[in-house]
Amino acid sequence: MFQKTLAFRIFFIFSLILIGCFVFLPLLWMINTALKPADKTFTLYFFAGELTLENIIGILTDKTIMTYLKNSLIVSFLSSFMATLVSSFAAYSFSKFRYRGRKAIMGAFMMSQAFPQAILLLAIYLMMQRFHLLGSYWSLLISYIVFTLPVGTWTLKGYFDGISNSLIESAKIDGAGNFRIMTRIVFPMAVPGMISIAIYGFVWSWNDLLYAMTLVTDPARRTLAPGLVMTYLGEASTNWAAMMSASIVAAIPVTVIFVFLQRYFITGLTSGAVKE
Amino acid sequence: MAKFRNNGRLTDTQTGILLVIPGLAVFIAVILYPFISAIAMSFTDRSLLNPNSSFVGLDNYIKVFSDPYFFQTVWTTIIFVVFATLIPFTLGLIWAIVLNQGFRGSEFLRGVTLVNWIIPGTAIGFLWSWIFNGQYGILNGLLSALGIIDENISFLGQPASALICVIIARSWQMLPWYMAFLLGGLQGVPVERIEAARIDGANNLQVFRYIVIPGMRQIFFLVLILGAIGNLQHFDIPWTMTEGGPARATTTLSIEVYRTAFKNWKLGQAATVGTVWAVLLLLFSVVYLKQVRESD
Repeated sequence: MFQKTLAFRIFFIFSLILIGCFVFLPLLWMINTALKPADKTFTLYFFAGELTLENIIGILTDKTIMTYLKNSLIVSFLSSFMATLVSSFAAYSFSKFRYRGRKAIMGAFMMSQAFPQAILLLAIYLMMQRFHLLGSYWSLLISYIVFTLPVGTWTLKGYFDGISNSLIESAKIDGAGNFRIMTRIVFPMAVPGMISIAIYGFVWSWNDLLYAMTLVTDPARRTLAPGLVMTYLGEASTNWAAMMSASIVAAIPVTVIFVFLQRYFITGLTSGAVKE
Repeated sequence: MAKFRNNGRLTDTQTGILLVIPGLAVFIAVILYPFISAIAMSFTDRSLLNPNSSFVGLDNYIKVFSDPYFFQTVWTTIIFVVFATLIPFTLGLIWAIVLNQGFRGSEFLRGVTLVNWIIPGTAIGFLWSWIFNGQYGILNGLLSALGIIDENISFLGQPASALICVIIARSWQMLPWYMAFLLGGLQGVPVERIEAARIDGANNLQVFRYIVIPGMRQIFFLVLILGAIGNLQHFDIPWTMTEGGPARATTTLSIEVYRTAFKNWKLGQAATVGTVWAVLLLLFSVVYLKQVRESD
């Protein structure tokens, strides 16, 4: 795209080093702090020095934090699964069926991420309180589905639009019902899209702090993000080594998923807004 | 389509509607109803401490608009949104241009960059609080080792610098997101047009100015709008780093609504702030939706 003139080379090297440092050093510093022995937290050495897994093991054997981690896993898996299913149904409906109000509903779904979440939370909180759901996972599960819905329906609709109508017609002539067509023909062709939506939903619920902090009042059901905030913020003397270790433990599941499913992930990330 | 063959099965229209019902139900329960109910709540003195509430007309609005802190909050939000959108956008664009050069390891760098974006905001807040820590933070450590400062600076303890710190942390989190979109955009710029411009004697800056920027206009627009909406909503990083402090310096609208409702228990007043905020968001969203429709 650009010719490698001297000016471009200077710009290139300069940007590579400066932005590279900004992007990569903070995370390395987090790992570095987590790996230093607790009494060396305040020293400045960068990996070249005494390192230990003590802090991380301390987090992994902390029963409370492991409960938060377990809750996060349950909520994230369930909500990601449910969001993918609900998005698939809706996307199929938008793509292959015609009925009154279809465009309006699509528009509404697309807008849902633009409603201010904190204000929705006020009424959701009261609603969940009324239905006695504040102590369960349900309040979070229901809320998280909606945040995957716009990207989910948009992406999957793209996949379903690509399936020719004549394929569906011929299946119909062979006597297959709508349900059979959906599960045997349509959904299997959108599996990559579904995976990317499932990842998107998982990461969203894993990382959410605001809803999780407000809608789950039972400590036994608390998820990781609010759990860490409540464990470490407001403490008189901050244990930075433990905080960095806990942050790493919280980051690992999403990072692992990302590393293995990166291809789907980037599609899911960009296709929500950009239609090729 | 052949309705007579359905034999008790649902018609196509019925199936279509049935399929959209789960999504629609959740949408109504979690978006539509709460939104309307929150607007209604803004005209009441609803509180979490008292189950009974009564209609108070515009009282909350008068209270909010006569509160000097409210305008400070709006101003903080605007500064946060503008800088936390433009900084990572610019850096993300440069980073995308660098990675688009396709040198050895550029694929790997792209992947590792995205890790910053997918890890929890809570972890990012913790990390940057530690970097900016006033006593033992690495930034103070580096600055004093280089002899730039004599005394440690309490970056997060002073109103002026705290907001800058929060913006830096948010920019760090979002840079990969912009990079991913913009890299896709760069790869979509037609190569033939660049080559044609080269033959006409265009230099790098001219190619960038007259081919790349016009070719990416739509995607620039889209990421800026989506990024701004995201920042208007953003809560995690300012909350974990400073809880909106010191002296409200990092209190954005989302933090204000949360604190008014769930720390001070004043739901009605929180709903009022939220409604004003929703109007702001709506402006952006309408522009976004128009753009999406056009690209459809």
